Amino acid sequence: MGDVAQSSSDPILEVENVTVRRNKTDVIRDVNLVIHPGEFVGVVGPNGGGKSTLMQTVLGILRPVSGRIKLAGGPPNSRQAFGKMAWVSQAAAHIPKNIRLTVRELVSLGLLNHNNWFIPGRSTSAQTDKAIAMVGLSHLADRDVNNLSGGERQRAVIARALAGEAEFLLLDEPMVGMDRASRQSLLQLLDNFCHEHNKTILMISHDVAAMRQTAHRMVYLEEQIWFDGPPPSFPSVEEIASLRGIQDVHGGHHYDHAAEHCGGADHATPPQVVVQKEAE
Amino acid sequence: MMGLGVWLHELVSPAMEAIAPYLPGDVFPFFFTLDMFQRVLVASFVITVIAGVLGSFLLIRNMALIGDGIAHVTFGGVAVSMVLAGVPTLPMATFFAVVAAVLIFELQDRGLLEGDTAIAIMMTGALAFGLVALRIWGEGITANVERFLYGNVLFVDDASLDWICTVGLVALLLLGAMYKGLLAAAVDPVAARVQGIPVRAIGLTFSIVTAVVVVLMVKIIGALLVTALLVSPAATAQQVGKSFRSCVLWSQFFGLMSVLIGIYLSAEEDTGAGAMIALVAAVIFLVVVVSKSIAVRLGPAVNQRTQ
Repeated sequence: MGDVAQSSSDPILEVENVTVRRNKTDVIRDVNLVIHPGEFVGVVGPNGGGKSTLMQTVLGILRPVSGRIKLAGGPPNSRQAFGKMAWVSQAAAHIPKNIRLTVRELVSLGLLNHNNWFIPGRSTSAQTDKAIAMVGLSHLADRDVNNLSGGERQRAVIARALAGEAEFLLLDEPMVGMDRASRQSLLQLLDNFCHEHNKTILMISHDVAAMRQTAHRMVYLEEQIWFDGPPPSFPSVEEIASLRGIQDVHGGHHYDHAAEHCGGADHATPPQVVVQKEAE
Repeated sequence: MMGLGVWLHELVSPAMEAIAPYLPGDVFPFFFTLDMFQRVLVASFVITVIAGVLGSFLLIRNMALIGDGIAHVTFGGVAVSMVLAGVPTLPMATFFAVVAAVLIFELQDRGLLEGDTAIAIMMTGALAFGLVALRIWGEGITANVERFLYGNVLFVDDASLDWICTVGLVALLLLGAMYKGLLAAAVDPVAARVQGIPVRAIGLTFSIVTAVVVVLMVKIIGALLVTALLVSPAATAQQVGKSFRSCVLWSQFFGLMSVLIGIYLSAEEDTGAGAMIALVAAVIFLVVVVSKSIAVRLGPAVNQRTQ
């Protein structure tokens, strides 16, 4: 941990010793994560490893039992945080099927913030069209989002996030259900945002290979953060297993609780999950 | 002071009289010439315009049955005002409806119950409470639930028309102001919240507006017709509309068609107007769905998904 290329500017996200509990068990424990503007951070890990929990905590939906989160200088759900960040959910799962909604209508929702959501009819169509063009959907702008392919719909949802002034994009498994070509172009698109538009990206994914190829930094989360560093040094499946084994035995300063908790419970399953996801 | 409804009535009255001679039927043209029937048309049109907006949002929020639910809930309020002589009916009914709408919203928002279940519990609970209250304390008051629930669309007086137009205008302004926020909350509540949109406050306000509008409409045109005008045209609109905005407009169009055709048929065939309008709304839905699926089958190039 900690061998991260630090930029000079203030961090956009600071997660400090955060523990989140659900049903009396810790889903994530003592998580520390600092993200600076312009970074593309990919969070990988097995199902149930706490990736979504971490995301929901950052978004202010879940509350940590201990620890602190600072988003753009303020706590989640604060005025400082609102408008700085945008959330991209798994679009295929989240847009209601019983709605007729054009791409343009969807993307224009991204322009709303806590100041202007109740002002009717003031649509800034130029910004909407620009965001649609950025994701390459201009030719489908008047199409119903429920009539698009999974990849196109995901792009539309990303365009919604780009339409506003958000600097920090949080994405939850945006590539689920996409073919290889769409995944490639989506990753390229996100990479461009970081480089050319100085957006910051925090992305959850099962796709270790894809993250390795695109992210500037990778985080392996399974209850705790076991790796945080540049993709070239991302550990192999065996290394993760042994990393965790060593930590369990020695109980490093971060992992006191882990030593008590993990025991022999997780020597077999986690690496299997990772292998499965890599092969996907 | 002249109310909004009376003003609107006087505004459109000359135009209605002008088109009356060109209309078919023996009785139907009187709806455009006689004062009392003109009021019915104006009231139905105003209600349809609001119902088109409200219904479109109810549908995407999965709350299609709330109109019917609220209508039954208000019976509890009506019964209480009957028992406590001197308590006016409309405020008491509105109070019951708003409380029920807020409870339904909270149950859904906290994830305790899915939409329909919360509505069903409130609806049966308040209705049963009304019946029991009348039985125990009513001393001979007999409850005519039917009459209450089915209203009479053919009797709209000036005061009712004023109420419909005033509440309708306030509801339309509120819905217009919340239009984008409501849409964002329905499409993706988490993303909307992260943007800083007060999703909870919007949802709560929407539920209260719905309750107030439904109570008023139930009193005047009956529960059957309220639900028919809220849901059927909006569902038909989803079959033909390409965007949410166009669905709202189509919904109002199909609602107006239902009202006109329904009143025409009921006038000529001498049936209940409310039931006929509701029936026409349902038939329009069926016709549109069937012809759409035939069109899709005949012309694969039409209406096809991309890719």
